[in-house]
Amino acid sequence: MKHVLLTAALAATTLATAAPAQEVTLGRFFGACEDAGTDTTASTGEACIIQSIINAADAELDGITITTLPTDWGNYYDQIKAAYAGGTPPDVHVMHRHRIPEFAGLGALGEISGDLESVGIDPGDWSETALAAVSYNGGVYGVPMDFHANLWHVNMDILAEAGLVQDGKPILPSSPQELMAHAQQVKDATGKDYLAADFAQFPIGVRLVLALMWQQNANIFTDDGTATIDTEAARNAVTAITQLFDAGLADPQLNYADSQQAFLNGETAILVNGTWVVDFYTAEAAKEEVGLDTYYAADFPTLFDTGATWADSHMWAIPSTLEGEDRMAALKVLAFINDHNIDWARTGHMAVRTSVVESDAYKALPHRAEYAGTAAIAKDTPPSARYGAIQDVLNRELQAIWLTGKSVDDALSDAEIEVQDLLDR
Amino acid sequence: MNRAYYWLVFALSIPAFLWLVPTLWMVSLSFQPNEVLARTTSTTLFGLIPIPFTAENYAALFSFGQTPWWFLNSVIVSLGMTLGVLAVSTTAGYALARLDFPGKTAITIVCLIGLMVPEQAVFIPLYTMFADLGWHNSYHALILPRMAVPIGVFLMMQFFRAIPKDIEEAARLDGVGWLKIFWHVMLPLARPAMMTLAILTFLYAWNDYLWPLVSAQQREYFTITLGLASIQSNFAQSEGLGRVMASGVIASLPVVILFLIFQRYVVQAMTVGGSKG
Amino acid sequence: MAVTSRSRLSQTQAAWILLAPFLLTYGLFLVYPFFQGLWISLHDWNLLAVAFNPDAKEYVGLRNYERVMWGRNIEWSLLAAPFWQGLGLAGLALAAGLHWAGRMSRFNAVALAVASVLLIVIPGFHPGEEGRWYDRRFWPTVGNTLVFVGLAVPGVTITALALAAALNRETRAMGALRTLFFLSQVLSVTVVTLIWQIMFSPRQGLIANVTDVLGGSPINWLTDPQFAMAAIVIATIWWSLGIAMILFLAGLQDISKDIYEAAALDNARGIKAFWYVTLPNLKRTVTLVVVLQIILHFQVFGQSHLMTQGGPNDTTQVLVRYIYQTGFRDSELGRASAMAVFLFLIMGAFSVIQFIVGREKS
Repeated sequence: MKHVLLTAALAATTLATAAPAQEVTLGRFFGACEDAGTDTTASTGEACIIQSIINAADAELDGITITTLPTDWGNYYDQIKAAYAGGTPPDVHVMHRHRIPEFAGLGALGEISGDLESVGIDPGDWSETALAAVSYNGGVYGVPMDFHANLWHVNMDILAEAGLVQDGKPILPSSPQELMAHAQQVKDATGKDYLAADFAQFPIGVRLVLALMWQQNANIFTDDGTATIDTEAARNAVTAITQLFDAGLADPQLNYADSQQAFLNGETAILVNGTWVVDFYTAEAAKEEVGLDTYYAADFPTLFDTGATWADSHMWAIPSTLEGEDRMAALKVLAFINDHNIDWARTGHMAVRTSVVESDAYKALPHRAEYAGTAAIAKDTPPSARYGAIQDVLNRELQAIWLTGKSVDDALSDAEIEVQDLLDR
Repeated sequence: MNRAYYWLVFALSIPAFLWLVPTLWMVSLSFQPNEVLARTTSTTLFGLIPIPFTAENYAALFSFGQTPWWFLNSVIVSLGMTLGVLAVSTTAGYALARLDFPGKTAITIVCLIGLMVPEQAVFIPLYTMFADLGWHNSYHALILPRMAVPIGVFLMMQFFRAIPKDIEEAARLDGVGWLKIFWHVMLPLARPAMMTLAILTFLYAWNDYLWPLVSAQQREYFTITLGLASIQSNFAQSEGLGRVMASGVIASLPVVILFLIFQRYVVQAMTVGGSKG
Repeated sequence: MAVTSRSRLSQTQAAWILLAPFLLTYGLFLVYPFFQGLWISLHDWNLLAVAFNPDAKEYVGLRNYERVMWGRNIEWSLLAAPFWQGLGLAGLALAAGLHWAGRMSRFNAVALAVASVLLIVIPGFHPGEEGRWYDRRFWPTVGNTLVFVGLAVPGVTITALALAAALNRETRAMGALRTLFFLSQVLSVTVVTLIWQIMFSPRQGLIANVTDVLGGSPINWLTDPQFAMAAIVIATIWWSLGIAMILFLAGLQDISKDIYEAAALDNARGIKAFWYVTLPNLKRTVTLVVVLQIILHFQVFGQSHLMTQGGPNDTTQVLVRYIYQTGFRDSELGRASAMAVFLFLIMGAFSVIQFIVGREKS
């Protein structure tokens, strides 16, 4: 009891005399890394790199302590939304570029263009696309952290066995027909699947189809809000993939974890997944006991006319309700993250700051040169406040095609109607 | 005991073992190193025996994991809810069972109708209401909504009704007030029923998922159920399987122990709660 | 307080004092939210927009209900779903026939008739020419929930009944076995889904590991549309068998030994005794367990949300998850509340049935 009283008294005096440390709450996904430490240059993987940056900010920024909120991926946006609606949003949180219309459109996010310089963020150093990513209706609503895009992660040993390697580079298909031919070649030479991806759970398969549509200069809806899914371009994109399933050269039933495991076990030549796993796969490939030995990170190949791959941006935002000291502290955290852009790029993501992109350290990152073309072909759907729901519709209908055998025509026309509904709401 | 009986026991122990296998497997995985689990989960006897063995996962959990904290929250919320439900249910149950007053039938019926309203039908308005009050992310936000559920009142009401009238009448003749009768005479008698209700409520609170999911967004107020859900959705990317399983074991241990100690009451609770609720 | 000098509270006063804490919480956290839910369901109510601007809601009458449950050019015909409607017609005929022949009580006949009429009417609706449901996911979601209930309830009931019958002896070994079967009941939904997610994994799962050794190829339980629902039902049966088993054991103990002895004289032992003596005497308990399970499993959320995220292709999307998703992912509280009202109506109907069954018992 005496001890408790003492502590309470102590706490009371601290509050009364010294200026209390600003507490900044921070919301993020990327997964948990509880033993990340404060060395921002040594960690691997998204979760540990971001946590080490946060831990370092907590240690190095004077008078600021950072509390990291739960890191649940599946419910992240639901929970952020619930937090905003409940009036208790985190002081700083990560989000995707595609969510800006939804959150900024309602006035949830703080406009920070006037405050960047004062905390030492130079927006002039951001690439043009990075600035565009965080801009909405003429304001700046966040600090961009990366571009991330779909890559083709390649097991070079399997492709070599099938004779699909030249000058140390993988030979990737340039048309749907060639895709099929390569897949058959791999199956004949090794008995293994050509391509794996999460076609059954998260919308990686959707992003694949979207890329193939963009490669035909088509899109799922127009800027003025007309859904264009029941189209020839979409049919071409879908059948380019389903032909692999139909011929038994790829497995549509793998989810994220399983497709990744298949790739690491050396059971499939190609894994379609994002830039966020490059450093993880590099580390895994170096291990003796892992099936994957020679790893290559390739740009998403162009199967149709124009190069395109799905891309998005992670960015950090603060709520519009934040004021005074709290807002200043939050901005300082944003600046700290901005300063560590090079550390974040170690994940495999593409940096947003020109000074970082041009640095030797950046260019020397493993496999970086192999997917140097990705930045130029990065693309996404037009902005919409219903991005999440639209992705969900596509994910369901595409899964219906490759998991339940729904006809492509029916699925695409259903998807078009539903997406149109969402756009009209 | 005849031979048929032993055959029956033997025949039943096979499904019983199979029933136990998933739990055993979780425990076994929690004692294996993550590097091994990343490659294969079936090292020794399909992974049911933790060889190679390590206690590293538990050490990690307790040195910097959030699990102990979530665990503590669950204890606070579950105990708070249990005490709250006991308080409102015994008082209201006694009043409805033993006291006569105008409006009694109406209140009983209103409460009865409340039994039909599932939590899922009111969680959205509850959410907006608590948001307006600025109550989210607090212990009372996690505890209060469940106190409104009338099942406890009905359990207690049924119990009090079964107590013979003369006990009360004797006290009345001595000039003891109603509140004192409730406190000094009825409550001690109600201990078994309260135990039953307490266990039902505690189990419910410990395992509740939907309401904490929408109400608690800050780690400080995560319950173990919610915390576990948050780590399992991304274990594939970051944390080792062994550590996730260790969290699962830690989350389950108290309820399992509680169950083994109070088994008799739990069974009774289920029987009563099941047939009346 | 002095013992006798103060005037006593009247009985009415004491009652209200004792009732106050409960009535307060009940009114605040159940009655008020319930009506607030009805109110929200009549509005176009965006979670975020209203949070930032309380006036951003718009009264739309019953449009949310229409948008969720109805469609354009919806028609009704007797042949839209021949199987279910045929079943309904058969049920109606059966109810009339049995009641007329005096082999069914009036109450049961009416219940069967009502259920049959619902079976004829509800599946008969379908979009006509150029028509469509406004929300194509709602009814399939309700259907999935029904499939889940339809699989989990008999699964739990039959397994629990068989186990209870076998374990109904007061010996140490039987007690231990009962404990074992009951144990999983106390685990939380997140632990259950954690265990079974890994159990079902085609690469790391125990089931796959065993199939592998036996030379089979593993099933992608959670991502194969044919198996995903089965997978969450299996996990659910494993989880929630305990209560049903305990209820059956209690019911079994109410059956007097004399009946069995009398039956044994008629040469009814073992399975035969179970069929002709145990089951008829257990009828009420069975009904009770079934109704309870229906109410419980209609509220399924965690299994679907955590194990399959409603997928693949929505095959495991269930009603409560759809409500959660509509409310918190899509911010459409109005629609979500309309669905919640629908859920309440279904659950309320089963609660009434349960109440009636429970009263018959006492």
